[in-house]
Amino acid sequence: MLTLILQLLLDGMASGLVYVILAAGLVLILSVPRIFLIAYGQFYMIGAYVVWGATVLLELPYLVSLLLATLITALLSMTSYWLIFRHIHAGEKNFLAMIVAAMGLMLILGQAGLLAFGTSSRGMPAIFTGVLSGADLSISVEKVVIMSASVAVTIVLFLLYEKTKIGRAMRAVACNPEAASLQGIDVTALYLVTMGVSGALAGFAGGMIAPAYGINPEMGNHVILTVLLVVMLGGMNSLVGAVVGGIIFGITLSLGQYFVPDLAQIILFTAIGVIILIRPAGLLGSGVSVDV
Amino acid sequence: MLHVRGLHKRFGGLVALNGVDLDVQPGEILGVIGPNGAGKSTLLNVISGFHPASAGKTRLQNQDITRLPAHEIARLGIGRTFQAATLFPGLSVLDHVFIGCHLDYRTPVWQRVLRLPAARREENVLRQWAEQTIEFMGLGALKNEWASNLPHGHQRVLGVCIALATRPKLLLLDEPMTGMNPTEIQTMTGLVRQIRARGITIVMVEHNMKAVMDLCDRIVVLNFGSVIAEGLPSAIQQNDRVIDAYLGKEDAGGNVA
Amino acid sequence: MSKRTFAEPTKPIALGLGVIILIGLPLLITSNYYLHLLIVAGMNAVLAMTFVLMLRTGLVSMSIAAFWGVGAYTATLLTMKWGASFWLALPLAAIVAAILALAIGALLVRNAAFSFLILTAVLALLTVFVFGNLKWLGGFIGIDRIPPPDPILLPFLPPIPFDSKPAFYYLMLFLLGLAVIFYRALYNSWAGRAWMAIGLNPRLAESFGVNVFRYRLLSFVIAAGTAGMMGGFYAHYIGAINPYAFNIFKTINVHIFAIMGGVQFPLLGPLLGSFVMTLVPELLRVAKEIEPIILGLWYILLMLFLPNGLLSLLQRAGKRSD
Repeated sequence: MLTLILQLLLDGMASGLVYVILAAGLVLILSVPRIFLIAYGQFYMIGAYVVWGATVLLELPYLVSLLLATLITALLSMTSYWLIFRHIHAGEKNFLAMIVAAMGLMLILGQAGLLAFGTSSRGMPAIFTGVLSGADLSISVEKVVIMSASVAVTIVLFLLYEKTKIGRAMRAVACNPEAASLQGIDVTALYLVTMGVSGALAGFAGGMIAPAYGINPEMGNHVILTVLLVVMLGGMNSLVGAVVGGIIFGITLSLGQYFVPDLAQIILFTAIGVIILIRPAGLLGSGVSVDV
Repeated sequence: MLHVRGLHKRFGGLVALNGVDLDVQPGEILGVIGPNGAGKSTLLNVISGFHPASAGKTRLQNQDITRLPAHEIARLGIGRTFQAATLFPGLSVLDHVFIGCHLDYRTPVWQRVLRLPAARREENVLRQWAEQTIEFMGLGALKNEWASNLPHGHQRVLGVCIALATRPKLLLLDEPMTGMNPTEIQTMTGLVRQIRARGITIVMVEHNMKAVMDLCDRIVVLNFGSVIAEGLPSAIQQNDRVIDAYLGKEDAGGNVA
Repeated sequence: MSKRTFAEPTKPIALGLGVIILIGLPLLITSNYYLHLLIVAGMNAVLAMTFVLMLRTGLVSMSIAAFWGVGAYTATLLTMKWGASFWLALPLAAIVAAILALAIGALLVRNAAFSFLILTAVLALLTVFVFGNLKWLGGFIGIDRIPPPDPILLPFLPPIPFDSKPAFYYLMLFLLGLAVIFYRALYNSWAGRAWMAIGLNPRLAESFGVNVFRYRLLSFVIAAGTAGMMGGFYAHYIGAINPYAFNIFKTINVHIFAIMGGVQFPLLGPLLGSFVMTLVPELLRVAKEIEPIILGLWYILLMLFLPNGLLSLLQRAGKRSD
């Protein structure tokens, strides 16, 4: 029984850590430029498709494809900020207009992906094969790689956010954009950087899981809802919350789907709902106020 | 009319009110003064229910209003004004006061929803009352202007109008003269007197010493969240503790007339 | 009254003309397909109106589609499992949705505006899963073969059956008309003024006795009831429902309809927005492959240039003529 639970925990960690990366990226966008980017899932999809296209069609090495995917989504994210959100930021009635624009972006990217890569699901040859086992537990090498990469990226992100000058600027702007700009921070440039980093994270996540989990045109839409829940659970302006939320989510889902398959999702969502009722800011968040 | 006992208010670690005891007599104009940060506005906010008290009791006539929400307290007859410009963007002066009459509807709900003649008549009556009040307060000519377009002084007067729309027994004025020029201050002073003449008790937080000395029957002085003196204006002016409190804060820009 | 009125002033001639045109449309448009679009547009218009209702009081609700779904499922269960007449099921669906909203709203509405948004979003996500996981609601496959409404029996006239699009169109028009009249009355009443006050400055409203919580809850309940009613209509019009139709994306689409029209106009805005946004994709049917891209561009461009919706053009024209 113990081994079963440990095994489920392990599997849950793997999926949970992927959510962590996506949640972290979304938290950055929500806290710094404060964009309710419902289109975020599309960057994940694009990352996966680029990796597929580059590896399968162009026959580039996997790591190169992954790098390419990350760069492309970063650029795409920055461009969308530059062309669209930069202007909506400045106007009144921000929030509603922002959601509509984000929805518009989601439609465009979604359809563009569909047109470019077709409507059917794709598979990719696995990059890492084999299974690691020990102490009655087993896990595919793929998942180990995904987990390690996720942990590594998360650590790098934290270092960036906590230790570097840019990270400090991000935190300042997240706290108070006016004060930050008065202190000499170029807020627009910072927003660009943040969007780039978040876009890269999403693309990386997509590219990373592509060989393991396959690709389909709907993956962006599916993932955004889950990531939104994770972010709400952990706290919309907390990176640590994103980590905690992602892991809790992954593990709970994994355990739940084994023991109470039909009810797993309901229980999880209800629990999240209750948590948010008690603490609307999320487990680790601090009240964010958005003017509607 | 109003009795405050042992009122405490803490914001996290900061103590804003430290055991305030206060009595307001019916029909009087009570002034509340004190250096910046003494807790005057906090006192008003707690009394009117916008901040819950950390400890202590507030009683309006014979009713305990300590734990009541702000709108309940308004219903019970305490009206208030706000320090900063607190208005409805995009609405006219008349609209503001008319909306303020919200509490006065007597026709039953279902009649109002169906817009039956009785309900409509009542609306007209209230609208007229709103117009009269605006006239009374001297804003008659401006009744259709957007409130946000009004000069500052007029906005303050409007704030008082709105508070009056609730037909309060007790009116809490939060720095009504701040930012006004001498003419406007004179107007406001006259208005406050007229309001009292209508039988409404007034508690006024104010920095303008001349106005306070002119208008108030009694004065309460706060410092660091406690009452340090209380009495007639002439007595307060000579009170050593009060003078100390203000002198000590003079460097911080305290306003001593 | 000031320029920003409590509900749009109606010019009787324009209104009368509009009503005549709307009633006469099925005579001009015989294509079932376009009638279908109009029916759906009308229904979306009502949903959009509920969005604006709540928005007025400062609440952005992400669970409009959820209550729409509650109404749909309730009405369907009533007619299919308990043999009730559609005409009983419809108001009951509205009532059930409203009661649910009362219970849930009591918990949700007392939170700050942004928390409310998140909570309704969680509710929205939850609702789809609840619908899908309850076998007696048909699970994720849903319920199909939902019967059309019973024929209307009026004295001296043959029964009016619901076997054609025009019949449903008039039913939709009737419900839309009900909603418009009801909402208009509300907006012009003391409740509407209280809502407006709350939306503009809750502190000030509170200071003259407005129970902000109660009025917000009221708007939430009325919105849910209205959405539930349209859900009951929708289920018996389309004939089949499944949980995915009631997801958060549907709610966001409803938001978009209202925003496109202009949320400053609580009745006209949603109406215009819904009808325009139902027609626009139609005009793009020719380029089916790039339709979502053009639609997305349309959203983005409109938000960049007319963030206050199409009706803000009228406002600008009005200002220039002053």
